[in-house]
Amino acid sequence: MDNTRNQPSAGKFWSWFIPIGRQTGGWAFALNRVTAIGLTFYLFLHLAALSLLAQGPGSYDNFLALTENPIIKFGEWAVVAAVFLHGLNGIRIILTSFGVGVTRQKQLFYGFMIVAVLIILIFTARMY
Amino acid sequence: MTENWKITLRVYRQKENQASHFDDFQMEVNPDEYVLDAVERAWAFHDRTLCFRHACHHSTCGACGMRLNGVEKLACITLIRDVTNNGATLKVEPLRNFPVASDLAVDMGSFYRKMESVTARAVLPVTEAEIENPPSKWDADDSQYLRLSDCIECGLCMSACPIMATTPEYLGPAPLAAAQDQGLKRKPELLSIVDGEDGVWRCHSAFECTAVCPSFVDPARRIMNLRLQVVDMRLRKLFGKS
Amino acid sequence: MSKPHVIVIGAGFTGVATAHDLALRGCDVTVVERGDLCNGTSGRTHGLLHSGGRYAVKDKESAVECIDENMILRKIVPQVIEPNGGLFIALDESDLAYAEQFIESCQECHIQIEELNPEQALKLEPKINSKVLIAFLIPDGTFDPLRLALAFAGTAKHNGAKFRTFTEVEGLLTDGVGNVIGIKVLNRASGKSEEMRADVVVNATGAWAGHITAMAGLDAPVKPTPGIMVAYNQRFVQRAINRLNAPSDGDIVLPQRRMVVVGTTSFDAEDVDYIPTTEDQIKLMLERGTELIPGISSAKPRGIFMAARPLVGGGSGRSIARTFKCYDHKETHNVDGLVTITGGKATTLRAMAEKTADVTCAKLGITAPCVTKETPLLSYRQYYATPN
Repeated sequence: MDNTRNQPSAGKFWSWFIPIGRQTGGWAFALNRVTAIGLTFYLFLHLAALSLLAQGPGSYDNFLALTENPIIKFGEWAVVAAVFLHGLNGIRIILTSFGVGVTRQKQLFYGFMIVAVLIILIFTARMY
Repeated sequence: MTENWKITLRVYRQKENQASHFDDFQMEVNPDEYVLDAVERAWAFHDRTLCFRHACHHSTCGACGMRLNGVEKLACITLIRDVTNNGATLKVEPLRNFPVASDLAVDMGSFYRKMESVTARAVLPVTEAEIENPPSKWDADDSQYLRLSDCIECGLCMSACPIMATTPEYLGPAPLAAAQDQGLKRKPELLSIVDGEDGVWRCHSAFECTAVCPSFVDPARRIMNLRLQVVDMRLRKLFGKS
Repeated sequence: MSKPHVIVIGAGFTGVATAHDLALRGCDVTVVERGDLCNGTSGRTHGLLHSGGRYAVKDKESAVECIDENMILRKIVPQVIEPNGGLFIALDESDLAYAEQFIESCQECHIQIEELNPEQALKLEPKINSKVLIAFLIPDGTFDPLRLALAFAGTAKHNGAKFRTFTEVEGLLTDGVGNVIGIKVLNRASGKSEEMRADVVVNATGAWAGHITAMAGLDAPVKPTPGIMVAYNQRFVQRAINRLNAPSDGDIVLPQRRMVVVGTTSFDAEDVDYIPTTEDQIKLMLERGTELIPGISSAKPRGIFMAARPLVGGGSGRSIARTFKCYDHKETHNVDGLVTITGGKATTLRAMAEKTADVTCAKLGITAPCVTKETPLLSYRQYYATPN
């Protein structure tokens, strides 16, 4: 049953991502999806990197040299940021899923994101 | 004294077997009138081929749901001054996640079938309705008084829900809210309908439904409560409350 | 033998109720409507399931129609009705003086009323004007405007009637000697014109009846008579509140979901495709509504609109009888194939349809009796849920 007949939208795959008309909850949802995709991608990278360990100290040292690359460093920072954004918003999702704070979901989001941003700032200071 | 604004009404047009496009109508409007008034005038005086749905003009029928500058609203109770400014453009589009029948009118068939499948109540005893300012205690004969359900089946929630955008199989906020309103204890046959991958578990907590609902239904809260009801029923079954 | 084909023009209350009746009597019915259901007068009805109390004194025929149909609708379509009764309240000497004739007239019209003193009235409805002098409980109700029509339309659809919305009648097809044999329509969704043949065409366009009859070179004695409604964003009361007095502007306040709706006024209009609201009428509704429910003065409007009643007959404004008339144009103008139904009010939609179906079936030689009094309607969702 096609619910997009004649609709001008971007179609099933990307329409969740389009921010037009979205409010706080919708932004939180999109943010959670984007960070989830990013963290999943990172997970595979991480496993691939770890498998280098099995190939002996030489190839692992080569890999470690990569981490000095500023782009990679930024990537690491992004992973940490994603973890806290996704994780703290995730706590909000868990709470609301149990019926806790549903009517305050906007305030919960702002609250948790402020905490996330603070943590990320502290981490940034220590990293750079 | 009524001011007059000049606005551009940018309306989505879609006729059968033709590509969609937007038509611009230059309108003089009173900012304290409703968007539906402007759309009606566009039809009456500018373009009689414009198709749109409307009936009650006071948010009880649910027919005039549209997206105004991208946000789901009932055109009949949305003041022009709340969505645009003098000299600006007001974009008017049909609801998302429904097939477009013509211009701003969408096909609500699948939505109404879903509401039927959960036996949504249209009228209920006032003692069971979540009304404004209920008394601390109901009298014995208060349950004879009936109340129309808050949900006007306008479809704004179905349009705003990002999950509805990804699949037409998801029951959606309004049907799930209607199931919660009846309660699984009282209607256990609803359990198998709502406890599934296209039922309560498909909701991803975007809360867009509650944000756009014009009728005080608060579907997000009801979906979360329905989850608790589902878990409760399943646990009872598991631990053999036969 | 194939069923006779009847085209009903107009999907307001009269059109959908007529389609329902005709479908049950064995006709093949097609309803054409230039917009979607109830986009004209019917959608904007106040929503009062009349007990007839309002008409008992001056228009007994209407009053009896109302109370009879009120009871029938409660039985056949309870899904769209809040059957919570209504109050007629007196606030001043003039109102009080009306009470005696009100009581007598209601008795004559078999409308059950119960007299309440101020204390009882305020206990029932604490938010009405505390200066209430006397009140009468009557079997009014309130209904959801669109869903009342959807229930009739959905049942008709289930019984085989077809609904062509966004389909506008551009002309009538005639047989060369002036009789109507069908319609020419513009499908507004596709932009294409088409012709549809019919054994009888029923003109159920209410305030627009004259537009259709003009296409056959006739005029219909309908007087479009608009009135304003103002909805406010708080409910205040659980039942209809009427001013105890002769009918006048702004003397009814109804609850509708979480709102109250104050109505209405009465004035003449030529073109009723679009009727602008006016500041003075909005102010009048605020004043009169506040007399009945003082809290309205601090509520915010939530919808302001005009609706054009299809009043039939001579006279003007409130003096026209509120009853309905069905015209077989073979008798009125020697034009066969065309029937016009107009006048009436939402509460009497089923009775209007019965009369129209009687006239139509007589023309078609169908003798099946009307069964709509006893036939419960299907869920109003069937209209959208049933595929075309």
